[in-house]
Amino acid sequence: MERLNSWIARLVFVFLYLPIAALIVYSFNSSEVSYRFDGFTFRWYAELFRDQMLLESLRTSALVGVIAAVLATVIGFLSAFALVRFRVKGRAFFVGAILIPLIVPEIVLGVSLLTVFSSAGLPTGIVTLVLGHVVITLPLATLVLMGAMSSLDPSLSEAATDLGASPWVTFRRVLFPLLRPSILAAFLLSFTTSFSNIVISTFTAGVGTTTLPLRIYSTLRTGLTPELNALGTLLVVATLGVILLVGVAQMRRILAGPRP
Amino acid sequence: MNETTEPPAVKLTGLTKSFGANRVVQPLDLEIRQGEFFSILGPSGCGKTTLMRMITGFETPTGGSVELDGKNVDAVSTKSRDLNMLFQSYALFPHLSVYENVAFELRVRRTAKREIDTRVREALELVRLGAFAERKPAELSGGQRQRVALARAVVGRPAVVLLDEPLGALDQKLRKEMQFELKRMQREVGITFIYVTHDQEEALTMSDRIAVMSEGRVLQVASPTEIYDEPASRFVATFIGSCNILDGVVDAQGTGVVVPGVGAVPALVPAGAVPGSGVALAIRPERMSMRAVGASATVDGVRATLVERAFLGDEWTFHVRLETGAVMTVSVPSGETAAELGSIADGAAVVLSWSAAAARVLPAEASATAPASAPATSALKGAAA
Repeated sequence: MERLNSWIARLVFVFLYLPIAALIVYSFNSSEVSYRFDGFTFRWYAELFRDQMLLESLRTSALVGVIAAVLATVIGFLSAFALVRFRVKGRAFFVGAILIPLIVPEIVLGVSLLTVFSSAGLPTGIVTLVLGHVVITLPLATLVLMGAMSSLDPSLSEAATDLGASPWVTFRRVLFPLLRPSILAAFLLSFTTSFSNIVISTFTAGVGTTTLPLRIYSTLRTGLTPELNALGTLLVVATLGVILLVGVAQMRRILAGPRP
Repeated sequence: MNETTEPPAVKLTGLTKSFGANRVVQPLDLEIRQGEFFSILGPSGCGKTTLMRMITGFETPTGGSVELDGKNVDAVSTKSRDLNMLFQSYALFPHLSVYENVAFELRVRRTAKREIDTRVREALELVRLGAFAERKPAELSGGQRQRVALARAVVGRPAVVLLDEPLGALDQKLRKEMQFELKRMQREVGITFIYVTHDQEEALTMSDRIAVMSEGRVLQVASPTEIYDEPASRFVATFIGSCNILDGVVDAQGTGVVVPGVGAVPALVPAGAVPGSGVALAIRPERMSMRAVGASATVDGVRATLVERAFLGDEWTFHVRLETGAVMTVSVPSGETAAELGSIADGAAVVLSWSAAAARVLPAEASATAPASAPATSALKGAAA
């Protein structure tokens, strides 16, 4: 029974990581067709960096992702703070209202966003992309930060006030340092959600502001090129880099403050 | 200390607080003197924490005013009030070292670097944690954390420090040690301490004066000995220490008290008592004496039956039942007398006696206000009805 379990566990891992491994392997495949491995090459990486359309969409996605994540984190922080700290009237209503975009199908959100933007005369582009992505990332950021804040002793900020700190100093010296890991988590979660989004982007992207997922999706019609494998590999490496950095920082913090 | 020229450290006038329709602090007046160790003592839910939070400014009073050092601070925010608070959870900043926790206020108030260092070191010496400056709060024991919180509260030399049940989280032995430590530190720094607690022993041990609170009212403000020996009400008598209560009536001459079913009992009736008016007699268990007696002998005292006994180490406690059915507690310090009394069999007849001075005459109140915590009291309520 135990042997069976361990084999199932192995299979699950293979299932989870095989696509990523294949992606990396084929990004170095010299063959034009992706199912045959002919030999090792850096050619696709070189082509990737010459593909202006693809790079442009990467830039768009990164820009939209960063702006949307910053907005979601800041607004999420403020809403979480208000909802956790103050006896807001209709608190349950606001919590529900903020979380609704998580339940509403994205396609519905996309259509309604487009309706609103076009009736407001707002041309689709970076601005509409960012607004659309904030709608879906804000609930995530708010949830993460609400959890972190409600686990914080409320007398900490009272103590800071009592010791003469203004609300800003209390935030800078006490709340921010204590919530930093969660703020970072909210930011990263928002960024990746925005970066990989297709549905909302389909409705809110304009001419010249095609995001990376949209660009990749459209190449499906002409067939995937090995160049995309190279791009995917770079993204996986970048993601691992971020995880490693954050993870190391977290581990340090955990190791630095052992419980007695 | 010259009380006639110095304004009180804290003066509350008609201070009251309601949450919705629920009035948790009834309008009250209170003066706390400079340099005093003042305790606010009461059961949980009596409004003492709300009262304290109104002094700090965390809660806005529904009515009345707060004066600190003679100046009205109703419009002054918490951060600008010259007082600090020691929180029940200590509220140490977990990301800062002990040193930085203590230095927090001085840094916020932009004190010169060199002075910060001197004063933080001083404060840490005061609480005997000089060697722990670089530790994080998580690396300290509960008692040490409490000391850091105290150092942080006094480092800015506020006029007043408020302490919210700071010993609640410590174990019994440490709590006793800290009571004397707190008192020593308070004397050393000379800052007015307002100590909020539900623990009567803590309040009695440390305080110069105690305010006893119940249901949003201050019932009595007095020194620990006065509170204990001369409680002003039935609640104070039974909440502080244990106390036997006998309901009686002032006799026709207005000089003695008659307890229904028992007869005339010793009591010092204050002048001006109205004959026939109902009173409550409060008698401390250790101020009663008890002796064995033959069932038929005529005796001077109150007849009772020994119900049970308990040996507590430093004293014996006896529960006796009066002929009315009321159960009273008698305590006797360990020693020869106690040993003799300890040999009396359960169910034997005994006689209780006390001096007139030991029986304090209190106004009779609705028995609903008396706490049902002491077994003697609850039994008496039934007997009195």
